[in-house]
Formats: sequence, C-alpha cells, structure tokens
Amino acid sequence: MTEISRRRLIGAAASLPLATPALAQPASLRGTTVVFASWGGAYQEAQRRAYCDPFAAESGARVVQDGPMNAARLRTMIEGGAPDWDVADITLDFLYAGSKDKLFEPIDKSVVDTSRIDPKFVHDYGVGCIVWSYNLAWNTQTFPGAKAPKTWADLFDLQRFPGKRCLLDNAVANFEVALLADGVAPEALYPLDIDRALRKLDTIRAQTVFWSTNSQAQQLFVDEEVGLGLILNGRAYDAARKGAPIAVSWAQNIQSVDYLVVPRGAKQKAAAMRLIDTMTRAENQARVANMIAYSPTNPAAFAAIDPAIAPWLCTAPENARQGFVVDAGYWRDHQRAALERWTAWKLK
Amino acid sequence: MRGRRLGPWLLLAPALLALFFAFALPVGMLLSRAFTEPGSFSTLWQTPVYLQVLGNTLLISAVATPVALLLGFPVAHAMAHGGARLRRLMLFLVLLPFWTSLLVRSFATIILLQRRGPVNALLLNLGLAEAPLPLLHNLTGLMLGAIQLLLPFVILPLYAVMRRIDPGFMRAALSLGASPAQAFWRVYLPLCLPGVTTGGALVFISMLGYFVTPALLGGPRQTMVAQLIQEQVAQFGQWGLAGALSLLLLVAVFLILGIAWRAASSRSVTP
Repeated sequence: MTEISRRRLIGAAASLPLATPALAQPASLRGTTVVFASWGGAYQEAQRRAYCDPFAAESGARVVQDGPMNAARLRTMIEGGAPDWDVADITLDFLYAGSKDKLFEPIDKSVVDTSRIDPKFVHDYGVGCIVWSYNLAWNTQTFPGAKAPKTWADLFDLQRFPGKRCLLDNAVANFEVALLADGVAPEALYPLDIDRALRKLDTIRAQTVFWSTNSQAQQLFVDEEVGLGLILNGRAYDAARKGAPIAVSWAQNIQSVDYLVVPRGAKQKAAAMRLIDTMTRAENQARVANMIAYSPTNPAAFAAIDPAIAPWLCTAPENARQGFVVDAGYWRDHQRAALERWTAWKLK
Repeated sequence: MRGRRLGPWLLLAPALLALFFAFALPVGMLLSRAFTEPGSFSTLWQTPVYLQVLGNTLLISAVATPVALLLGFPVAHAMAHGGARLRRLMLFLVLLPFWTSLLVRSFATIILLQRRGPVNALLLNLGLAEAPLPLLHNLTGLMLGAIQLLLPFVILPLYAVMRRIDPGFMRAALSLGASPAQAFWRVYLPLCLPGVTTGGALVFISMLGYFVTPALLGGPRQTMVAQLIQEQVAQFGQWGLAGALSLLLLVAVFLILGIAWRAASSRSVTP
C-alpha cells in the first residue's frame, strides 16, 4: 500500500512543471505497457521475477510476457514496421546479423547504465544479460580422480578415454572444439579451418553421439549413454544437482551470450531502455543466476550468488579467465556455408 | 436441382475457407518465395547436400512404409475379425498414443532403447546379446521410434477396410478348393488393397515430414529434409530456400504417390 502511494506521489510530482528540474527519479510509467519477449520456460520465468517485476514495481509500467523468441519471426515483425515486442532476448549471432541489417534501436546509454556490465558484453545495439558456455564434461564414476579428462584434446583421445562421447549436432562450437583439440590456439581459431576440423572429427565419428537439444545432452549424461562430451554449463549443473555423477572442465570453455535488444520501431522505446537498465543491476542478475544458474554479465552480481552455484558459472573470474567468447561476426557471415559442410559431413 | 448441387458446397464452405486461409494461402506464399527470392533454386542445385538429404528422406520413408504395413496388418486383422471386447480393447490401445505428445513418445523411446535401458537389459539377461546393442542414434533407432509412432496410421485404415470384407468370400474360396494361403493371397489381400494404399500413403507422407524424431533417435546419417527446412527458416530466415526445398519435396511426393496410386488402382478389386 505504501509502495503504491509513494509511486503515486512521485507520479504527481513529475507532472508538476515546477518539480521538473529537481527530479532525481525518472518519470512514472503508469499506464504504459511494455512487452518483453524471451525463450519461455524456467528462463523467462526467472527473467520475469528478476528484471520485469522490479521494473514494474519501480516505474509503474505493466510488463507483458510474450514469446517464444524466434529470430525469423522477430525479423519479419521488424521489417513489417510494427514489432509487437519492446524488449527481446536474442542470441549473439542474431545480434550481429540484426545490427548489420539495422533491426534494432541503438542502446540509449544515458538511460542504460552500461558501466555496470563487463565491457565485452556491451554492444551498441544490445546489452548482454546472460552468458553460457560449452564445456567438456565427464562421468566421474567412469573417469574418477586423476583419470578425468581435462582438455578438448582428451575428448578425441580414444585410447585414454574409450567409449561413447557426445558433441552437438551443429557447426557452431563443434568446429571450434575440433580445432582446439587439434592444437589451434583460441586466438588463432578464426577464420575456422573447416577442412581441418572435419578431419579431426572423422577420428571419433563412430564413437560420438550428436545431440540436438539441451535436454538430450543432459539425458545422455544422466543415463550414462556417454562417458564424456560437450554440454552447456547450466545443463551440467542441473544434472549434478539432481545427483548425476558429472563434472566439467573449464579449460577453453566456449562462451556465448544472450542480449536484450529493442526492436527497431518498438512502441515503447523509452520504457524499454529503462527495463534493460533494471536488468543490468547486480542484485537482479544474481537472482537469475540463483534461480537457473545462467552466468551474469555484471561482475558485481557474484557478491549475491549462492556459493554452491558460482563455480558452475562461466563468468566466475576463475572460469572466465580460461574461456573465450565465440566470434559472432565470423559466424554471422559463414554460418550457412559451415552448416552445409556440417550436414554433408554427417551424411558421409 | 440448382439448390441440390449448391448444398454440399455450402456445407463444405466453412471448412474450405478455413483450409484456404490457414493452409493453402500460407503454403502458397512460402512456395512463391522460392521464385521471388533470387538464388533459391540455384543454391539447391549447386550445393549437393540439399538434394542428398532429400534423397535420404525419400529412402528412409520408403523403408519405413512396408515395415509399418507388415507390422500393422496382423494387428488390424485381429481387430477386425476378433471378438467385440478384444476389438474395443485393441482400438483403445491403438488410439492411446494419439493422446500423448510426439516429443514425449520420442523421449520414452529413448528410455526404452538406450544402452542401459530395459530392452538391452532383457536381451543381455536372456543371453541374446553379449554386449548392449546400439539401438539409438542410428537407422535402427529412427525406424523403431518412427514406426511405433506411425502404426496407428496403418492400422486404422486397414481395420476399416477389413471390417467391410464379407467373411463369406473366404469361406467360398475355401469351399471351392483353395488352400488357406491361396484364399488369403488371391481373395483377402486384394480386397484389403485400398486400406494398404491409404495406410501406406499416410505413413510415407508423415515420415517425409518428420523432424523431431530423426533429430532425437537417428544418427548423423539420418538427417531429414524437414530439419533443413526448419533450419533455413528459424535460423537464417531464408524463406526462399526453405520454399524451394518444400516445393521439391512436394513435387517428389506427388510423383511417388501418383505412381503408387496408379499401380494400386489397376490391381485393386472392388467387391
């Protein structure tokens, strides 16, 4: 009750012309509806509770949840001139493709405090909200203690690590993994030598299961279908939390980022920027990490993150130091050709 | 006279309108993008992988169809000619899978077929296998999973046709000196052909469009064309290439079904 009356007071104060120069608080957004689109499920629920609810409580705006996110759908909406969404959660590759095609509004840095965010996750057209990583994971019963694999090269070592292993059914990350295993340094990866990557993949092809969904990857480890392989850090954490004998290596973890963007022509551009600003705050990012173990882009968030979860997050200082972010610019320009090579290799 | 002819069309109008706006129009728009977006077809011809996947899809579907027919035929026969209670029970069991999602059933198949799953445990305990068999992430996994999902589409049309076959025909054949096998091959089976064609066509067409099941149960070689179409739209927004692939698939389906239809109708017998 007091919350509401305080907000009303601020709203009333904002409408008084005399009060304007002294205004420290941003204007009330009472009566404004902001549409937030993301990927659904537990992730969007965490975002609703961590970004949208605090934003609504502070500003007086109403936030409507929509989705599921689909790059093709969002592009069609924007090119149609009237996007339904004011803030959208998109992947790194679509951020690069979309900013090249001018699909997003530039981030208003007078509203969004981007200084809170690690600079490598700040872009002119989007602000990183979560980071995830592809890691090498293994079954701690099959490969206990000193027998554990450590590097991507171990994933390709059939002598020391016999049995089934997994990679993902996609070109992104798989090609990087194969080249790292073949001795290419992370800074020398791009442009990818696809022929070399495929030759390396040939060596374990018969022993490898290629997963196509994240839940499938998790299932492969939980059911002990595979002894080691590639999995997302959040999925490995979830499997471990549920009692699976799984551990991950952080050596050369391959990171990717989700960004919040404002689609070009969004109806509530100004309010959308303020919602993104709410996302950048440490306490809100910590909430997401505590709910579903996605890594924050604001380093200060770690102060409020459960110490049991922090070691599983790829932006934790120790883990971030060993990893690198995929080259989204490369993938934007080469993904289709790379996927054609990947599909051809699969059929071989 | 006029009103009589118009009557059926008026009754059909709501369904036809819904089909037109919800199906024909969007599909038409997708297919037309194949022609309006330059380079859609040339990408198909110049990159062998697309045609390879299309051929792969047709081959997998062509293998799945006869297997599903062979498995479904005895089930439909038992349903059609068994007692009323058995029929009700079997009908219930055949329809049961329709009430669960495709994704759930595919994951359930994974649990059954995995290396430490119940199927492998049974085989090992019975001494039928020395080591767990690779039943997943290959053609075997895809076939076991997909055919299990598609069986109702074979059983139901076959059952409908078999129910209408007069048991007197078989008795007549036997009393005229045919052996049971002869009576089956020369009387019963030809009468079932409409059901075989319908069921076979339903399985073949559904299989062509499968996309979740091959991704979950198949291996790298079992990539199917629906996966590529989805990829082009959802990942790249390449509607033109997706349209061209869809068009090619559609043409292939019409050609194959046309040939099958002609072959079946020239041999089918109307009682």
